[in-house]
Amino acid sequence: MNKKNWQVPITIVLVFLGVLLSAQFQTQTRVLSDLSMQKTEDLITMVRNLSDKRMQLERELEENERKVLTIKNSSSDELNIINSLNAELNKLNLINGIEEIKGPGLQVIIDQDSPILYVDIVSIINELWAAGAEAISVNNIRIDTNSIFFYTETENAMYITLNHKPLTFPILINAIGNPNTLEKGLTLPGGIIDNLALFRAYPYLEQTEEIIIPAIENPPVFIDAIINKKTP
Amino acid sequence: MRKWVLPITIVCIISGLLLSLQFKAQASLTSNPIGQRNEALVGLINNSEEEIVKYQEAINVLREELDKIENSSPTGQVDIKQLQQKVQKAKLQAGLLPVKGRGIKVIVDDNNAGLNAAPNDDPNRYIIHYENILNIITELKLGRAEAISINGQRIVTPTEIRCVGNVILVNITRLAPPFEISAIGNPDILEEMLLSGEYDLLKGTGFPVSYTKYNSENPIEIPAYTGTYQFNYTKINE
Repeated sequence: MNKKNWQVPITIVLVFLGVLLSAQFQTQTRVLSDLSMQKTEDLITMVRNLSDKRMQLERELEENERKVLTIKNSSSDELNIINSLNAELNKLNLINGIEEIKGPGLQVIIDQDSPILYVDIVSIINELWAAGAEAISVNNIRIDTNSIFFYTETENAMYITLNHKPLTFPILINAIGNPNTLEKGLTLPGGIIDNLALFRAYPYLEQTEEIIIPAIENPPVFIDAIINKKTP
Repeated sequence: MRKWVLPITIVCIISGLLLSLQFKAQASLTSNPIGQRNEALVGLINNSEEEIVKYQEAINVLREELDKIENSSPTGQVDIKQLQQKVQKAKLQAGLLPVKGRGIKVIVDDNNAGLNAAPNDDPNRYIIHYENILNIITELKLGRAEAISINGQRIVTPTEIRCVGNVILVNITRLAPPFEISAIGNPDILEEMLLSGEYDLLKGTGFPVSYTKYNSENPIEIPAYTGTYQFNYTKINE
């Protein structure tokens, strides 16, 4: 009986302590994902990216305002509508990869011996977009939203596939954009090149003054997706 | 015996309180200097994000207005109608129009329950990383998804999925868990791809994940891309 008398309070105190401790842990894990707890350099990168984006949006806003104004001022003039539509179509064709394009950029060359998987190619392309690439091709095939990366196995080898066709080595990834920025995007400490080095894969990077990227092979087909017209 | 039970209880409660206070004090000690140092930057980020949202809204209003003007054919001009259709199709391809259709919606979240059960473990093992999302997207594309979005951000050709510290960014926009990935396409094919890849791995390691299939009577809605396409270095190769 005597033993039980002191066991109860102690148990209560310990339970209480446990609750406090776990509450403490929870606040600490919450703090982990708080923005102010991230590395200063990461935050600086974020600020820089955001201000770039803001500037781009500002420009786009002005451009659209101008377009609307031009059309409104001459709404009776059909020629103006045609001109506006044509200008828009030209930009959309650039976006959609309808034309062969050229520009300065970065080449990423991956040799035969590299132990590289399809997810690595996806990662490299993802990092190139993040570094401001304007267009990308892999083994001279233009990359767009619908590009499909996967792999296929034969009896004695495994191939990375792009749009279900095997990619042959050396795999050449071309990206148009600011060559310096593109290279830095891949080589920053702890970045994709560092990661690949852990698996003994060493892609070769080369800044180039002119890269040519072909038009897309097949425009995307929409069967299930239809335009979602908003009812005003 | 009873005489010393009460004092011991009191001492234990007090020491418990003290310990917890100590923890709190230490937590604020370690977080405050960094927090203060970064406060200015976080302020900048929040300001930029607010302004970006305002710009995006303004641009969307203008884009819709432009769309309406361009589609209000004056007098049944054949070439204008054709041109309008071409522009509309090109906008659809560029992800600049909202779409709907049958498909699949996947929700993945941080494994908070797992972390709480093992508080001494590395927290990184319990959060969704950008690689997980990138892999799910790659697999949905393999399942011939026609349009994809994450937490309302449309995936277009130059969309990047990355992290800054523990924060996931898509189209330079900050996203927080749970992550809702919508894909329009054949729900059965999309489901098959999902269940043989990253989704299955996450499920196997205890992450709270789920998905719902949608048919065309009850379609998924995916918004238009709100960002810009930049071509400062690209020229058409004549």
